Amino acid sequence: MISFRHTKTDGAEYLSHLDLLRHIDRTLKRARIAVKTSEGFHPHPKIFMNNPLGLGIKSIAEYCAVETDFNGDFKKAFNENSPNGIKCLDFKTVDREPNFAHTIERCGYSAEWNAPFDTEEFLNRSKIVVTDKRGRTLDVRPRIYSLELKDGTLSFTLGCGENNLRPDLFCEILQNEYGGKAGNITKISAYGKYTF
Amino acid sequence: MTVNLENLRELLLRVEKPSRYTGGEFGAPALRPSAFDFCMCFPDLYEVGMSNLGIKIVAESILERGYTADFCFTPYKDFGSGLKELGVPLYSLGLKKPLKEFDMLGFSMQFELSYTNMLYMLDLAGIPLLRKERENGNYPLIAIGGPCAVNPEPVADFVDIVFIGDGESVDADVADLYVKHGKATKEFFDEIIKLDGVYVPALSNKVRKALINDLDGAIFPERFTVPNCESVHDRAVIEVMRGCYRGCRFCQAGFIYRPVRPRSAETLTKQACSLIANTGYDEVSLNSLSTGDYPSLRGLIKSLKNSLPDGVTLALPSLRADSFDGEFAQDARRVSLTFAPEAGTQRLRDVINKDITEDEIIKAAESAFDIGYSAVKLYFMLGLPTETDEDLEGIGRICSIIKYCYKKKKRNKPLRISVSCSTFIPKPFTPFQWERLSTQDEIKSKQEKLIASLRGKGVTLNWSDGFTAKLEAVLARGDRNIGKVIELAYKNGCIFDGWDKELNKDGWKKAFEESGISPDEYIRERDENEILPWDFIDIGVTKEFLLSERRKAYAGIVTGNCQNSCKGCGLQKQCSSAGGKK
Repeated sequence: MISFRHTKTDGAEYLSHLDLLRHIDRTLKRARIAVKTSEGFHPHPKIFMNNPLGLGIKSIAEYCAVETDFNGDFKKAFNENSPNGIKCLDFKTVDREPNFAHTIERCGYSAEWNAPFDTEEFLNRSKIVVTDKRGRTLDVRPRIYSLELKDGTLSFTLGCGENNLRPDLFCEILQNEYGGKAGNITKISAYGKYTF
Repeated sequence: MTVNLENLRELLLRVEKPSRYTGGEFGAPALRPSAFDFCMCFPDLYEVGMSNLGIKIVAESILERGYTADFCFTPYKDFGSGLKELGVPLYSLGLKKPLKEFDMLGFSMQFELSYTNMLYMLDLAGIPLLRKERENGNYPLIAIGGPCAVNPEPVADFVDIVFIGDGESVDADVADLYVKHGKATKEFFDEIIKLDGVYVPALSNKVRKALINDLDGAIFPERFTVPNCESVHDRAVIEVMRGCYRGCRFCQAGFIYRPVRPRSAETLTKQACSLIANTGYDEVSLNSLSTGDYPSLRGLIKSLKNSLPDGVTLALPSLRADSFDGEFAQDARRVSLTFAPEAGTQRLRDVINKDITEDEIIKAAESAFDIGYSAVKLYFMLGLPTETDEDLEGIGRICSIIKYCYKKKKRNKPLRISVSCSTFIPKPFTPFQWERLSTQDEIKSKQEKLIASLRGKGVTLNWSDGFTAKLEAVLARGDRNIGKVIELAYKNGCIFDGWDKELNKDGWKKAFEESGISPDEYIRERDENEILPWDFIDIGVTKEFLLSERRKAYAGIVTGNCQNSCKGCGLQKQCSSAGGKK
């Protein structure tokens, strides 16, 4: 099994999760990296991706695992056959399925930000309550792990998986509070037992 | 100038499926401006256009001569109006270049209801709709091709060049001449009208369709651009032959694509293998008007099976679904058969020269049921010449017989039958080109009869809207005056007319009123001595042949398949099965 980190940039940030899966599947086929399929009447290639990224958010830290015996240069073979915005950055041969959708606990993001504010004050709050479209309220403070603002760039770490907070939603909270506008939101890292 | 996607970010995030508009697909050729920049335009959404084989062939033929061939599809309204608000002109997907800056835009007109979409794209590109409004400006040449080009008169005032027939080489020949003359000069137009397949509306020249005799040696893309988001036919496509042996009398494609030209199994296998390797698709579709008639289908399938990687499935014709069981793994998910009897009784099928019998359908359905198929799709037409109530009732009868066949044995799944019933529309260059369209009331009452006769039979019925049929009929057999109606309809907000939920009937009705043109004048029966708007085009099939076919239709005489014996349609000299060119 090969686990790899890839980008979702250069236009690929506009791909839906399902389309991204299709592109990875086809990239592997073009690269002649044989992926094992599930048993049964409707065999599916064993490709396991991390949680879906919101549409329009770029990433240099997408994680994916594929069940294969391929032992060549995975990065080279993949990148020669992948679309521009989906490029393998690093890979590893692993023994077991890393289940990135569950094991990734936090993700780091960056965004351009043009309305300076006191990040410490924000983090010192014990509660940050948001109301969703259906009127439900939720305290998202426990899902925010870090927040820094330096030279017009916002860096922040948010929960992922069961503890998820969407980076665009987070930026919206800041926008509502401080004005300004977040631009170019990019996922730059993911933290979990099996990330690298 | 190019359009920077970063500036469209907010718009992209607001619209449905933004990846339609971003380009950068895998397999898209690396482009740079050249001596002739061509943009292949498709008057429908990205997902629809990306499935079209014709535009890939035309683009390939332009690229092969060292020129640029980019693509652009109709944006959906959300993106289109967003561009307008931002003041950003419609741009091509590869170079992100405004359409206005190309040397030529080539629109592929697949069906008449996309005419307003062409105007929408021109408008979004900031290009005046009418040719005469573009005369003294620096605008690209506007060209059209595809099946609708066989009667270009309704759009003649919008376009500079019409390509009629096979697009493999004539489009690129015109590109060469454009480069030779440096721009679209009078000499350029005088020279291009000498080519087969080129009609210049401003010059009203007579024209013979462009014909590729050697399809095997004809240009075909080795790779497809793999669409960003799933297209409607997201798979590799090979064109096993062009033309159809059957000559169903209502079918325009069956006449305008004559003669039948099959590709060799060797070439097709090579093309399929290269497409699969270059795209990563896992399905190959064997395209043609009637793939079941391919002369050595069994041999072709064997050759494909031996050469394609494991796990690649083939889309095969339904009538022969039984023949290949065990020889080739049909896609396991395929559970549905499709038949197109088109008419409910043998009598009417004889009238339309639809060479398929009830026995054949039943036999094919039964053996397919035995290998696990459990759904049947049936295509019929309503309003065909000489149709009676008995013919409509025949549709229900066929459904009952199929049901009976299914129930004869114990099966695991319940049977699903769906019937699609479209309205017969008389089209140019068919033996029925002179027929009238059923009136709106007739269509309605026939549909009601059909609905009543299928009620309680457990059949899903789809039928087409009567107004859509009327509009399509007017546009298909229209003359130059209809251009005014199309322009007014567009100005009244009509686009995506082919979609039931988008069709703006009031906009069209108003356009007819404003132009003072009565649609009824265009859907009436035409006199056989009348000069038809498309008569100046030589499509290869003679008018005498079409007339004799019409006579035979009314006499209920079947002409049959021309695979074995030539019926003398006029293309004998170009037809390999008639003993002409090989």
